[in-house]
Amino acid sequence: MLRLVLATAVGRAAGLLSRLLGRGGSALPGLIAEKIDPRAIERLVAPVRRGVIVVTGTNGKTTTTKMLVGMLEGEGWRVVTNPTGSNLARGIATRLIEVASWRGRVDADVAVFEADEAAVRTLAPRLRPRVIVVTNLARDQLDRYGELATTAAHAAEAVRHAGVAVLNADDPLVAEMAAGARAVRFFGAAEGIRRSMPHDSGLYGPGEEAPPPALDLRLERAEPEGDGQVIELAAPSGERAAARLQVPGPYNGYNAAAAVLAAAEFGVPLARAVAALREIPPAFGRGQVVEYRGRRVKLLLVKNPAGFNQAIRLLGALSPGTPVLIAINDLDADGRDVSWLWDARVEDLAGTGHRFGTAGIRAHDMALRLKYAGLEAWSETDFAAALERFLDQVPEGGTGYLVPTYTAMLRFLDMLLPGTSKREAWA
Amino acid sequence: MSDLVIAHLYPYEMNIYGDTGNVIALRRRLEWRGLGAWVDPVPVGAPYDFTGADLVFGGGGQDRSQLQVAEDLQARAAAIREAVSAGTVFLTICGTYQLFGRRFLTREGSEIPGIGVFAMETVGGRKRMIGNIVVSTQWGDLVGFENHSGRTLLDPGQAALGRVKKGYGNDETRREEGAVTANCFGTYLHGSLLPKNPAFADELLRRALSRRRGQGVVLEPLDDRLEHLAARAAARRP
Repeated sequence: MLRLVLATAVGRAAGLLSRLLGRGGSALPGLIAEKIDPRAIERLVAPVRRGVIVVTGTNGKTTTTKMLVGMLEGEGWRVVTNPTGSNLARGIATRLIEVASWRGRVDADVAVFEADEAAVRTLAPRLRPRVIVVTNLARDQLDRYGELATTAAHAAEAVRHAGVAVLNADDPLVAEMAAGARAVRFFGAAEGIRRSMPHDSGLYGPGEEAPPPALDLRLERAEPEGDGQVIELAAPSGERAAARLQVPGPYNGYNAAAAVLAAAEFGVPLARAVAALREIPPAFGRGQVVEYRGRRVKLLLVKNPAGFNQAIRLLGALSPGTPVLIAINDLDADGRDVSWLWDARVEDLAGTGHRFGTAGIRAHDMALRLKYAGLEAWSETDFAAALERFLDQVPEGGTGYLVPTYTAMLRFLDMLLPGTSKREAWA
Repeated sequence: MSDLVIAHLYPYEMNIYGDTGNVIALRRRLEWRGLGAWVDPVPVGAPYDFTGADLVFGGGGQDRSQLQVAEDLQARAAAIREAVSAGTVFLTICGTYQLFGRRFLTREGSEIPGIGVFAMETVGGRKRMIGNIVVSTQWGDLVGFENHSGRTLLDPGQAALGRVKKGYGNDETRREEGAVTANCFGTYLHGSLLPKNPAFADELLRRALSRRRGQGVVLEPLDDRLEHLAARAAARRP
């Protein structure tokens, strides 16, 4: 106990100091606390009254987490969650320390943590989640995580430590995890939507078609509307609920289904959970719209071919001539290997009539990818110059699409919304 | 009537490092010259007659797929060796490249037999060799990205594709990268390889077309400025 008090106190002092020095937040407090008390996370999370939810997977973690937090706060509960992208042990420890009393006591009803899909294997036994959500699994940053099979094995191991696993029935690698789970709830989509969502294991090949498991919640409808979409969810009981989401794309419909199903484990009724979805703004960079110089810039973060394909589908539905700036960086947080650009279905953009520009450290790689898909694009490696050139193409009052990798997004947000990247991303 | 038949080995099993980009590049560079290519996918288990192909491509995959592919390759070993002897052009990358050697010894000590086109062996290691790589070859510098834990050791007398200027290559100590036997090329470079290395892509196409037509072919030059910009940017990255 004394150790935990010390860990909390020193960690918080370090956080305070770091902010005084003007470095914004950092994962330093968590790092220090874990050094002083290696079981700090276990001890800090233990008093959370209703339990912990862990959200993992390749794409959709941040959005699903945000949706869950909204639903649970709507119940009048105190919810602890980790800030965007800060999804390793030290980030979670930092967050717990921030909300703890000086005696190391966390006063919360529920904790919702997004966990990196490689770190979740060691995090799950420490957090002992009442519910774990696995959104989907796709290849992502192979230079960092090794292989998809390894990542899947990590997540499958994590699932064993949860009371209930909320799994994507339409993603074969995720559905397989049911075998090791104590209890399972499946979410999925109606056939029309499922077909439009290539998952990585089905992305290239015919693959075996295993019969889909019976669903506990089904995404019946996902129709674009304005910047978002209208979705409808159905339970096996026949109960249905519809809501307008502020985020576009059927994959966000999946995220909503995952969140609603996880919230149901905490007794949140379908209608109330779905109603809460209306109020949830897009997460950082995930369909977020930034107003800038009388123009709207819509952000579609991409990290891997599956995510890129989702963005490509969205772009394909826009009116011809839309300005699109694709910004590819190759820093560690983006993945140093850009060969995934060649696995995305960039050819599907041919015929859209959009105006393409490319930016980032690997702007020329992206322009080359577009060239071999039969599309012309300008490329500009200087971020400020690329933004100017892009904005020139967006008419006043109009909307342009910015499709960046993670660190490229931070660079643009520094210009579009000064100060955001320091506040939001301190992973 | 297509001007060139490309066989894509294991397109569904070996596909995680953007290798499809190599097939896209070959196809486009023919189209831009008014020529057409026919691409035959050759998945595990599907019968295929290699005498009908002018250019055969095989990429990298995950370990799980590689085992499946290794078994399938054994069944095609004689046909592939015959095609190589007959001068068919091959480009094999990473996982397929390794299996074109005699064998792969995994870190756990098991042996995956290869088909012995290249006189070489690969040994699984602990360290993953990851990063952008530049290799000097007779077709200029090749730029790509490598990501492998296997160390490939060429027998004395087995020609390498080139010398490593930056990165690891076959086994990080000898500064050698890849292997070449007749018109069969093997390398660890993906990224994708061919879009950023147009001279090498054209060399493969030139050899395949010349063999098909029974006479030397000269390819019309293309505007490759963007290709070179992308290659230069990659070469500067860690």
